[in-house]
Amino acid sequence: MEFSAPKMSSPSIESARLRKLQLVGVLCGFGAGAWLGAAEAPTKLVKLGISPLVVSLLMVAGVFLARWSLPALIRGTGQMRADIRQAPHLIVWGILAGCLWAVANTLTIFAIRDIGLSIAFPLWNINSLLGIFWGYLLFNELRDAGRIRWLTVLGGALLMFAGATLLAFASSAQSPAEHPVRGILAALAAGVLWGTMYVPYRKAYLTGMNPLSFIAFFTIGELGMMATLAVAYGGGPVALWRQLAEAKEVLFWLMLGGFVWVIGDLFQQYAAKYIGISRGIPLSNTNQLWGLLWGILVFGELHGRSASLYAQVIGGSLLMAAGAGAIALSSVTGSEHARWKQAAEREGRRYGVDAGYVEAGLSGNDSNAAASGLAAQSGRTWLDWLLVIAATAIFFTLAVFARAPSLALNWPALVTLTIAMVIFLFACGLALWRVTRFN
Amino acid sequence: MPSENATQGSASLWTTILTDVHFWVPLIVLAAGLAVLHWIR
Repeated sequence: MEFSAPKMSSPSIESARLRKLQLVGVLCGFGAGAWLGAAEAPTKLVKLGISPLVVSLLMVAGVFLARWSLPALIRGTGQMRADIRQAPHLIVWGILAGCLWAVANTLTIFAIRDIGLSIAFPLWNINSLLGIFWGYLLFNELRDAGRIRWLTVLGGALLMFAGATLLAFASSAQSPAEHPVRGILAALAAGVLWGTMYVPYRKAYLTGMNPLSFIAFFTIGELGMMATLAVAYGGGPVALWRQLAEAKEVLFWLMLGGFVWVIGDLFQQYAAKYIGISRGIPLSNTNQLWGLLWGILVFGELHGRSASLYAQVIGGSLLMAAGAGAIALSSVTGSEHARWKQAAEREGRRYGVDAGYVEAGLSGNDSNAAASGLAAQSGRTWLDWLLVIAATAIFFTLAVFARAPSLALNWPALVTLTIAMVIFLFACGLALWRVTRFN
Repeated sequence: MPSENATQGSASLWTTILTDVHFWVPLIVLAAGLAVLHWIR
């Protein structure tokens, strides 16, 4: 292990550039919250008695399609191959992170079943506190950051935790706790798995890997682990296939949920890259606010409830917003960024990664061009177009078989929230393009 | 011998990965998560 502070091999990123990258990271954190929160909406349209494991597997299948087609569309798979050549070891961490996500997601389904969303959600939201711990311990985050930044990040995360608790109790206080110990253990385990999942994320981005490449490997672990769990706990491959065939009419909605989730996760990855996991995870956890907005406004979940319940919702939302605001304002100082750079250089030395690649990745420039001295190959090949066309064709086919939900939806609210999401998509996409060219 | 070099390089990469604390932390947490899942299901 090489933990001694290395000499700086090149000047730190200029402060104006650092400020821009942080603004992009903060914007992506909020964008991630909006899209991750909306990802649950299509699954609410599914009212059939489908096994939770199958629901999770189908969402992951949608995630898989999106994760291979979106990067191909945005950047081309040629860039992905270049990333693998530079840092092949990160494939292991990508697959590991995907496995962690799949197990955590399955645990949350069992946690909701046993103790209800009200207790389960704040419990697995401990992932942000764990993210701060791993970020500090393993990647030099918040080192030399000063007392005020420590207070704002930790205080903000705790405020968000308190707000999440209030919101969760308000959103589903009616859920009975059938197996409290088992449910609490499942929720806590999910939080620990999700908090630890950011260790591979941060390792990849410190080394310079592009999030669009990393998520492609992530999804292999995710789909592999989820399929294994579904087969193992779902009664074998024949029983699983029968359940999938029976769910034909809702496949589209579940996979759409997965697709929406990918866009949120993509922003989450950029947030982890540019503001670190100690700040990125709490901002992404604003997804609970958005999930609640969808539930209340579009699906009328709290309709006709007491004033005290609405007071809880407003109070919880304000606490979460205050916490997120505190974290968003806690910018990374030059001295803290220098510590990030030390961690990045340590990674580069350990795995023999080109120093130019690592440096360029940290400053949001084209890592592969910096490493090879060549201009980036931004063109798409026939393989990229094939991936995009195949994913689109699968979604269209499933949409043809899909049955329209028979739920009463508040359409004006649905349109408003969708517009808000599209605004986030364009704002984050534009900011990423202008500052980093998606590098 | 390019293939021999490639094999040595691959073995060296795996040695580096297997002695990296960043590998063991998520792996141990994953194993614990699977154990919890197996117990509660």
